[in-house]
Amino acid sequence: MSVSIVQAVWQGLVILFGGALLGMIYKGFDRKLAAQMQGRIGPPLRQPFFDVIKLMVKENVVPDHAVGWLYNLMPLLSLAAVATLLFYVPLGGFRPLLGGYGDLILILYLLAVPSLAMVVGGFAAGSPFATIGAQREMVMMMAYEFPLAITFLSIAWRLSVALPGQAVFSLTTIAANPLWGLVGPFGFIGLLLLFLSLLVVTPAELAKIPFDIPEAETEIAGGLLAEYSGRNLAMFYLGDAIKMVVMASLMVALFFPYGLANLFGVAGFWGGLIDVAFYLVKVFLVIFVAVITVRVGFARLKIGQVARLFWLPVTGVSLLGTLLLALDRIV
Amino acid sequence: MIFGTLMKQLFSKPATNPFPVRHMPRSVTAILKKVAAGQAAIHPPVPTPKDLRGKIAYDRDKCIGCGLCARVCPANVIELYKPEGEEKNKIRMYVARCTFCAQCVDACPVGALWTTEEFLLAATDRFAENLIVE
Amino acid sequence: MNNQSINLEIGNNTACYSVPVGPVHPALKEPIRFQFDLDGERIVGVDIKPGFAHRGIEYMGMRRNLIQTLYLSERICGICSISHPLAFTQAVENAAGIEVPPRAQYIRTIIGELERIHSHLLWAGVGAHELGFDTLLHLVWNVREKSMDLLEQLTGNRVDYAIPIFGGVRRDIPAEKAPLAYEAIGYYKDLLQRLIDAFLRDKSVELRTRNVGVMTYDQAVALCAAGPTTRASGVKKDVRVDMPYLAYADMDLHAITPEDYGTEPIGDVFDNIIVRLLEVAQSIEIIEFCLEHLPEGELTSIPKVPALLAALKKASGEGIGRHEAPRGEVFHYVRLEEGVEEMAVWKVKAPTYSNLMAWVPKFLGDEVADIPIVAASIDPCMCCMDRVHLIDGTGTASVKAKEELVRLSREKTRRICG
Repeated sequence: MSVSIVQAVWQGLVILFGGALLGMIYKGFDRKLAAQMQGRIGPPLRQPFFDVIKLMVKENVVPDHAVGWLYNLMPLLSLAAVATLLFYVPLGGFRPLLGGYGDLILILYLLAVPSLAMVVGGFAAGSPFATIGAQREMVMMMAYEFPLAITFLSIAWRLSVALPGQAVFSLTTIAANPLWGLVGPFGFIGLLLLFLSLLVVTPAELAKIPFDIPEAETEIAGGLLAEYSGRNLAMFYLGDAIKMVVMASLMVALFFPYGLANLFGVAGFWGGLIDVAFYLVKVFLVIFVAVITVRVGFARLKIGQVARLFWLPVTGVSLLGTLLLALDRIV
Repeated sequence: MIFGTLMKQLFSKPATNPFPVRHMPRSVTAILKKVAAGQAAIHPPVPTPKDLRGKIAYDRDKCIGCGLCARVCPANVIELYKPEGEEKNKIRMYVARCTFCAQCVDACPVGALWTTEEFLLAATDRFAENLIVE
Repeated sequence: MNNQSINLEIGNNTACYSVPVGPVHPALKEPIRFQFDLDGERIVGVDIKPGFAHRGIEYMGMRRNLIQTLYLSERICGICSISHPLAFTQAVENAAGIEVPPRAQYIRTIIGELERIHSHLLWAGVGAHELGFDTLLHLVWNVREKSMDLLEQLTGNRVDYAIPIFGGVRRDIPAEKAPLAYEAIGYYKDLLQRLIDAFLRDKSVELRTRNVGVMTYDQAVALCAAGPTTRASGVKKDVRVDMPYLAYADMDLHAITPEDYGTEPIGDVFDNIIVRLLEVAQSIEIIEFCLEHLPEGELTSIPKVPALLAALKKASGEGIGRHEAPRGEVFHYVRLEEGVEEMAVWKVKAPTYSNLMAWVPKFLGDEVADIPIVAASIDPCMCCMDRVHLIDGTGTASVKAKEELVRLSREKTRRICG
C-alpha cells in the first residue's frame, strides 16, 4: 500500500512539473508564432521561463485598499486548482493519475475555480480597474460555461447509449472509446458541431483575444491582474500556462484520443514514446488553431457582444450538435 | 480575411531590421575585426540615405567669425568665442544640444559648415570628444 | 452654446462609481485626464482635464528670433511636424509681406501630404491597437515605413523635416529623387485597397467601431470640430478646399466624407476610419499631381539669411496662417513689431483644441470598453494642444511657463509636507 502511495506522489510530482514545463513551452511557441504571423521576430522560445523567474524575484505589492488575505490567497488557489486538473486529465495518452477519484463533472467544476479565484482576487484588489475586470470575467464565465457544459454532457450521454453500463463520465473511458467510430452520419456532424463550439469556448476559457476582456490591456490597464505583481502574478501566469495545456488535453481526450503506436504496432517503451510525441503534436495543433491564430486574427470584443455570441450562436450550435447526436440514436 | 496574410507571413522573413549580432559580444572591436577578415557575419545595417541630416562638420580655417550661425541656431548649440592670439572669432558646437536642423549650414556665408551622414552619436558624457565640434 | 444645443442630457446622472483614465494609461498615447462616471459599463458622465503636455512653447517662441522659433514650432508635435511650420511661415509671410515662389509652394504641399499619409497610417495602427488587434498595428506600421523612408530621402530626417523657411523651402526635390517618390506612390497605390479592406471589411473591427462614439452632424457643427473628426460626421469642412493655399489652389479637391465610400455618415469611429483611409488615397493623388506639375523656379524668395533676418526685423503687423493638418485646422497668429527681432505675440491653435469637446457627445452612452477607441477616434495630439492660462483671484490673467510652474509645485509640496 505504502509503495503505491510513494509511487503516486512521485508520479504526481512528475505530472506537476511536466505540466508546468509543457505549459511554458507552449506559451513560448504561442508568442513566437504570433510574432512571426505579425511579421516580427518575437521573443525567444524560452521567454516564459525568463518571465516567471523574473516575476518570482520582484517585489510583491499589496495595495492599501486591498483585502490582504484574499488578495494573497487567490493566486495560490488558482494555481492549486489548475494543478489539480492536471491529475484528472489524460496526458500523453496515459490514464489520468486520479482517474478513479474524479470524472468529467469534477473537471467542469475545477475549470471554473481558477476563473473564480481571479474574480475574487480582482474584487479584493480594491482598484476600480480590477473591479471592472472582475465583473467582466464573471459575465464571461456565465456566457461560456453553457456551451462547455452542453458539450461535455452530450458526449458523456451519447457514450452511455453506445456503451451501456460503463462509467461514461470517467475520462479514461472517454479517451479509450472515441465517439467518431460509434456514431452514424448524423452523429458525425453532431460531433463536429460540438467540436467547433468547444473550439470557440477554448479562447474564452483561457481569456485570450478576442475574449481577453477581463484583462484588456488597453482598456482597463490589465483589469483583474492590474494590481498583481511579483510572486502572485507569477502564480497567475503559471496557472494560465498550465490551463492552456489542460484545455488542449481535454479537447484531445474528448475528440482525438487516438494513439499512433497501435497503428504502427510498436509496443512497450517506444510505443509509449511515440504516443507521447503524437499527443504533444495534437496539443500543439489545438493550441495553434484555437489560441494562436485566433489571437492574432481578431480584435477584442466587448462584453455584451461576447455574452450574446456565446448565448445565441455558440449555444445554438452545440444544442444542434446534441440534437443530431440524439437523432443519430433514433435513426 | 486577414488569415491569408497571416499564414503567408508565418513562413516569410520578418519585417524587422535586426541588430547586427544576436547577443552582445564581449568585445565589439574583436567582432568587427572578424567581420572584416570574413570570419564572422553580422546582419548588415540598413543603408544610410544620402543627404541625411547628421552631425554638422566645421572648417575652422574658412570661418570668418560672423556669428550668423549662432544667431539662427534654435538650440544654443553654437558658442562664439575669441581664441587666444587669433583675430577672428571662431565657434564651438555642442552636439549634445543639436537638433540637426542644419540652419547654421544655410546661414554660413563662406560654407564653413556642412552636414555629414554621421548619426551614431550616443555617449554617456555630454561633453565627450565626438560631441564637441570646433 | 449650452448642453441643450448639442442635445446632451448630462443632468440625468445615474452614476454608481467613477473611474479615472489618465494621465498615464495604456489607452492613451499622450497624457490627458478623464474622469468617467459609470453606471455598470455605461458611461453617464465625462470630465476632461488637459494640460499635462504644456511646455511653455509660445513663451519660448516670443523670446527667440523668428528663424529659431521656426524650428521650435516644428517640435510642437512630432506627428504633425510640418503642419505647424507651414502655418507659422504663412502667418509670418502674411505679416511681413514675403512672397513664396511657386516651386516652393508645390514642394511644401508634397511634404505636407506625405506627412498626412504617415500620420493617418499611424492613427490607423494605434486605433487597431486600442481594439486589441495588434496584427493590424504591425501590418499598417510596416506599410507606413515606406513613407517615412521617402521623407528621410527627400528631407534628411524621418520626423522634423526642416523644409519650410520664410519665403520658400530649404531643399529641392531634384529630378534624380523623383523616381524614389514615384516608387513610393506606386507601392501605396498597390497596397491601398488591401489596407482599406483589412480595416473596413473585418467583422470584428466593424463590431467594435460601428455606432460607437457617435457625433451627429449638428453636434459637429455646434462644437466647431475640425478635420477628419468633423468630416466623419458629414460636415464638408476642409481648409484646403474652403480657403485654398499653396498648391491646393491649382487642384480640384473635395472634402472627404463617408459618402465617398458609399455609406451615410453617422459620425462613429467606423466613419473616422473610412475618412482617414480615403484621405490617404487622396494624398497619394495630390502628391502625384504635384510631382507631375512641379513648376520650375527658385526655391525661396530671400535666399541669404542676413537679408531674411533683416526683412523680418523690419516687418510689422499681424499675420495669420492656417493649414489642414492631419488632425484638422492648425492656426497660427503672429504679431511682429518693427525693429524687434522677436515676435510680440504668438498664438497657436492646434486642431485637437477644436476637437476636444467632441469627446463629450462621443463618450456619453458608450461603454468602458469603448473608451480607448473613442479617445483615439479624434486622433488626439495633446502636445500640440496644451496651453495653460491661469486667472488668479484678482481677475488678472497670466500665462505660466515651466520655471514658474516648477516653483509653484515645489512651494505646494513644501506646504503639504509641512
